[in-house]
Amino acid sequence: MLEFIKFELNYRFSRGVTYIYFVLMGAMGFIATATDIVRAGGSGGKVMENAPIVLTGIMVAMMIFGIFIASAVMGVPVLRDFEHKTDSMIFTTPVSKFDYLAGKYLGSFLTLLFIIGGLILGMMLGQALPWPWLDNADRLLPFSFMSFLNPFFIFALPNLFIFGSIFFMGGTLGKRMVVVYAQGIILFMGYLAASTFLSQLDNQQLAAMLDPFGFGALEVTTQYWTVAEQNSQLIPFSGFILSNRLIWMGIGLLSLVWTMVKFNFQMAGNASKKTKKKGTKVARELADQVIDTPAVQQVFGAAAQWAQIKNLSWFYFRWIIKQGPFLMITLAGVLFVFMIAFVGGGQSYDIELYMTSSRAVQNIGIFNLFFIIITVFYTGEIVWKERDVKMNLIYDALPFTNYVSLASKFLGMVLMSIFLLVVLMFTGILLQIIKGYPVIEWGIYITDLFGDTLAVMVLYLILGLFIQALVNHKFVGFGLMFLFYISLAVINELGIEHSMFFFARASLGQYSEMNEYGHYVTPFSWFNVYWFGLAAVMYAVAILLSVRGLDSNFMVRLKIGKGRVNLQAILTIVLSLVVFTGSGAFIYYNTNVLNEYQNSDDVDKDRARYERTLSQFEYLPQPKIIDTYVEVNLYPKKRDFDAKGHYILKNKSAGPISQIHIQEGIDSQLKTVINFGQKASVDTVYSDFKYTIYNLAQPLAAGDSIQMDFEVKFTTVGFRESQSNNDVVYNGTFFNNTQYFPGIGYNSGFELSSDDDRKEQDLEIKERMMETDDPRGIAQSLFGDDADKISFEIVVSTDSSQIAIAPGYLQRKWNEGDRTYYHYKMDTPMVSFYSVVSADYEVITDVWEPSVDSLPDVNLEIYYHKGHDYNTDKMLKGMKEALDYYTANFSPYQFRQLRIMEFPRYRSFAQSYANTVPFSEGIGFIQNIKTDDVDLPFYVTAHEVAHQWWGHQVTEAGVKGNAMLSETLSQYSALMVMKKNFKPEIIKEFLKYELNSYLMGRTFEQKKEMPLYQVEGQGYIHYRKGSLVMYALQDYIGEDSVNAALKRFNEDWAFKEAPYPTSKDLIKYYRAVTPDSLQYIITDMFETITLFENKTTEAEYEEISENEYKVNLKLDVIKYRADSLGSEESIPLKDWIDVGVFTEGSDGKDSLIYLQKHQFTEQENELEITVGTKPTKAGIDPINKLIDRNPKDNVKEVSTSSSSEKEKEV
Amino acid sequence: MKLNIDNLSKTYPNGVQALKNVTLDIPVGMFGLLGPNGAGKSSLMRTIATLQEPDTGSIQLGDLSVLTQKEEVRKVLGYLPQEFGVYPKVSAEDLLDHIAVLKGITKTKERKQLVKALLQKTNLWQHRKKNLGGYSGGMKQRFGIAQALISDPKLIIVDEPTAGLDPAERNRFLNLLSEIGENTVVILSTHIVEDVKELCTNMAIINQGEVLHTGNPLESIQSIEGQIWSKTIEKEELDSYQQQYNVISERLIAGKPEIHVHSETRPDETFESKAADLEDVYFSKIKEFTATEAVA
Repeated sequence: MLEFIKFELNYRFSRGVTYIYFVLMGAMGFIATATDIVRAGGSGGKVMENAPIVLTGIMVAMMIFGIFIASAVMGVPVLRDFEHKTDSMIFTTPVSKFDYLAGKYLGSFLTLLFIIGGLILGMMLGQALPWPWLDNADRLLPFSFMSFLNPFFIFALPNLFIFGSIFFMGGTLGKRMVVVYAQGIILFMGYLAASTFLSQLDNQQLAAMLDPFGFGALEVTTQYWTVAEQNSQLIPFSGFILSNRLIWMGIGLLSLVWTMVKFNFQMAGNASKKTKKKGTKVARELADQVIDTPAVQQVFGAAAQWAQIKNLSWFYFRWIIKQGPFLMITLAGVLFVFMIAFVGGGQSYDIELYMTSSRAVQNIGIFNLFFIIITVFYTGEIVWKERDVKMNLIYDALPFTNYVSLASKFLGMVLMSIFLLVVLMFTGILLQIIKGYPVIEWGIYITDLFGDTLAVMVLYLILGLFIQALVNHKFVGFGLMFLFYISLAVINELGIEHSMFFFARASLGQYSEMNEYGHYVTPFSWFNVYWFGLAAVMYAVAILLSVRGLDSNFMVRLKIGKGRVNLQAILTIVLSLVVFTGSGAFIYYNTNVLNEYQNSDDVDKDRARYERTLSQFEYLPQPKIIDTYVEVNLYPKKRDFDAKGHYILKNKSAGPISQIHIQEGIDSQLKTVINFGQKASVDTVYSDFKYTIYNLAQPLAAGDSIQMDFEVKFTTVGFRESQSNNDVVYNGTFFNNTQYFPGIGYNSGFELSSDDDRKEQDLEIKERMMETDDPRGIAQSLFGDDADKISFEIVVSTDSSQIAIAPGYLQRKWNEGDRTYYHYKMDTPMVSFYSVVSADYEVITDVWEPSVDSLPDVNLEIYYHKGHDYNTDKMLKGMKEALDYYTANFSPYQFRQLRIMEFPRYRSFAQSYANTVPFSEGIGFIQNIKTDDVDLPFYVTAHEVAHQWWGHQVTEAGVKGNAMLSETLSQYSALMVMKKNFKPEIIKEFLKYELNSYLMGRTFEQKKEMPLYQVEGQGYIHYRKGSLVMYALQDYIGEDSVNAALKRFNEDWAFKEAPYPTSKDLIKYYRAVTPDSLQYIITDMFETITLFENKTTEAEYEEISENEYKVNLKLDVIKYRADSLGSEESIPLKDWIDVGVFTEGSDGKDSLIYLQKHQFTEQENELEITVGTKPTKAGIDPINKLIDRNPKDNVKEVSTSSSSEKEKEV
Repeated sequence: MKLNIDNLSKTYPNGVQALKNVTLDIPVGMFGLLGPNGAGKSSLMRTIATLQEPDTGSIQLGDLSVLTQKEEVRKVLGYLPQEFGVYPKVSAEDLLDHIAVLKGITKTKERKQLVKALLQKTNLWQHRKKNLGGYSGGMKQRFGIAQALISDPKLIIVDEPTAGLDPAERNRFLNLLSEIGENTVVILSTHIVEDVKELCTNMAIINQGEVLHTGNPLESIQSIEGQIWSKTIEKEELDSYQQQYNVISERLIAGKPEIHVHSETRPDETFESKAADLEDVYFSKIKEFTATEAVA
């Protein structure tokens, strides 16, 4: 065996490719740790760049690349003997099978280990030394070997064993490299499947086991690790990770055993044995007779070439689709698509979308990476096909024209791609039928699969042919393709971000049923023309340089290639170059001349420059808008609009104002004209920033007003490189005033916010928001300092096929030509935040009649895209129930109308404007809500309606903690409406996801986690933690008490201008309704970051009689206080916490028979509870009201303790 | 149509000079290219078969320049390489049909007939449906010639076709070759002298890239008739005989070496005169060559 190991090692180490792999892995490791190119493992913000979890993430991710090498190294050792035909030589020597295989395996494994050593070395080197370009000393922990060894032994080494063993089996028993590739792809699918399951809380365990790389297990284990934990903890070799590793290493071991069992020394001999038999048969047939070959006609024109191409393409196509690995990959793909569709909802709260054709196509799109992999590998196989079977000499001497061969290979592969896509298309259709949505939109299948996906496949296919033809070495070709793919990520980091540099990139955008493919079609088409132009050049060059015969030397091929140049070739190349450069120029003209193009670094630089130049004006007193009148004309077909109107600006400050600063909308397609008439003149123009300072002829005295006229013209010209404008579209325009209309004074929203970005631009680190008691902050609302409340009037016109909507009540509607005009006016002051919406709508109307007669009726309207009425009744009900609850508990609704308008799913939110709620197609209109699902449309509606109170009635100050007054209160309000309308299980399900989102959110914190009352725009806190905390609060002190507090708060603060309320104000109202014994929960919930680790360690019951059961519980309670980075410290207890006992209800589900709050002061507790029904489960905080890092161990099945006692009696 | 090779030279990147100023005129009919392994036979054949570029020299097939008009040459070429593989999972019939298309026979009906005829001719008809992966060496070789014969080529190149075949298969194969039409240039390379003797009207002997001899086999034999002497000796005497005489070949007969000596006169009484055959021609040319090489 040693001999074989030595032989294998000698062989490997005498080959350059081993060192190339070593250097490659080393370089990748180095790049990953010594540069910012790879951001694996979630570093950034406050997580240190060499935190154990970051290094682990990098190492595991690199192992994904590592498996390409593992397949190349471990798949071939035995295969090589077959290919070099040394098999019979070795197999006839007296070696044992075990020695041979073990030798081959160990030798290869050691080589692989050596190569991966490169990775570790590279990573260490990248991390250990202070590379001058990094400037990240403050982002590093002291160098620690353990941070490398820990992931190496838990992930890297076992993965090498697992993949190495499986590939070794594939190569040895399959005797073909493609078998190994197929294995690699299928294992990779395990990883992909796992990442889909991860997003579903109930399937996380499956995800953790399914992933052969161990990523899933790593994710599940560390998903709630706070920043502090990420910086300090090593990955534990226990729990999910341990099980995952054991399972997969077991599979690895089984592969080896199976290889040993199945491998047959006579394998190679088999074939010859068979033929020998036949050979003797042949010898017996001695009937040689003279046969005349018929005269045939040889044809060589274009028609013949076409006939040859047809024949050959078909031949290649049939060859590929008969390949086991191809079939396996296709089948796996189909299964995978099904699995994702059935198990992986992946939507928030695990709600499914209707299986429309576009959704089915999206599901298939998950397979895209495999398309590229299949394409690349089979390109290599097909280019080398004749040479692999050693038929190339015969083949190359046949009289077909040079291009016929490559053209046929190309077409054969195209046929294969089409075949695959047709299979997947029918998979999608089948999926639609099974999912009960059999509306087959062929157009979407055709466009997406045969327009977009096929284009990408064909482009990669040509790239593959080109590279294979050029380098003329199959594996080097694969390597180059791989590097090419990686390089796409690298050049991004170098500031090259323009799509024209990213091969095959052309986006159809997200499909919206409202706007269909919309304005994405044009750039998509042009980019494809561009890439296909390039591809045609590559294709032609590949034909000229491809090997025919035996000369593989590049210089000789160049010479031969020159000889192949003919008119056809010249024409092809010239024409393609014309197409390539022509379309390239056209794209450039569109993206960089007609439109403005900046890479992200330049964008950051501009923002920094804006801050440096203009922040001096941030504190300058400026007048505020008190009145807005605007006429907006939308031209949906051209994606243009213009607007003309005026603001009345009033000096609300104490002193006179002599200069007015205007910030125009910064979109490059927008032109703004400001006019103060004779009353002001231009002082300074910062044209880079569209910022102008006007000198007033007469300073504006305190309390005086001035009219400012403005005109804006938005013209869509050509198309943009990316971030194409989704506000103004063919169908479903939605924008608001802050995006396009002029604002007053410096806009701090343009400043860079993340610490990393600011440091890069040499700006001082800045707080995200103003302090809660900053007087300037209290003087302005969350909508900014441009205005307090305004009177508002707007005329919107649009194409007659659409309806245009804005806040206010419709005064008049009229037609002029093919345009329709809508005049809206708001009769009470409102915040200066208004939307303009226009689309081809269907309308549902209804009326909400308040239970109090003195209140006016409210007209309810839902504007939706035709066909999207799946959930409109739920939304309507949501509106009514919400209006009911809020009116009864907080205050009357301030408007006589409430409207919901659908907008395309490019953006996924709903937003509350005065009496209007634009609502994304993607988060409520197309969800398939089943009985046990969280009713998302209902909930989102209730939340947005709540904003009419929290945000529009009570407008809070724009300071830290502000969202606790608008978002958290809307979460609470909507949750109470849900509680009233749905089963407790649904609320529990909802809160489960909220808890997960909160715990996940804090692990991604970039700066610092804030207590709720100081929240700085952190969604995971003001939405997620907000829901949890408010639900618990009403549970502890009562819903009525909370509502009483909110009612008083509303009374005191609604419809007020500055000073605006803050979280500190609201907390006073909460404290006022909270009994002394529970005051601590206000501190825990709002003023600090408090978490629990509650656990039931033992649960037993004893049957006293048929209706008396004694339940004995051992409960663990720990309460933590966390700092802004998540360092936790346990604090003394004096807390009231739920204890609950469940029985099996009549429906088979858990039913609570006991739920009481007990006070806990110790970590370990024993409790005895008597219940009247036979208990099944029991525990502490059983319905997860408190924020618990590990909510799943709160409840335990109760076991009977009587059995042991009975034994005693005996 | 005839084939003229003029001054052909080729040196591989690793320094091996495969062809040295090879000049040959090959007329219509069967031409044998005889030489030991590694003599440059295959390099020459591949170059003629348009698969390899020479460094210098030219090849003319009738009016066609083989090096520049490759496509034209391929139209009239039938080539059976020394070593070749086949698609293991494709049947003989399918593959032959496939190759026929690539040879420009685009009419399906014609092609069918042709494939049938060729398979019958090569005695593979009954195995036409079988995957080529299951073919024996001889069957594969016959398949090879079947594909080379598609569409009546004017130039047929068969490179070491009989190597590794058992005697029955070899006979069968040679019979096939002998049936090839008379107005075709057939180049048969081999290291087996018998092949050439049995089939060829003309021949060349090449070694280490150089042409050592050209001519008609019979005439070649005649040219050394009466100059070949044989003697059976003891094993230990072999060295001294080799030094003393122009020993062109030796072989064991019943365990004892029998040597052949090329000499215009009988070396001594103990040698017996032997009727010259082609093998002696071959060995004497090789011997001559290695001797001059050694002197140089």
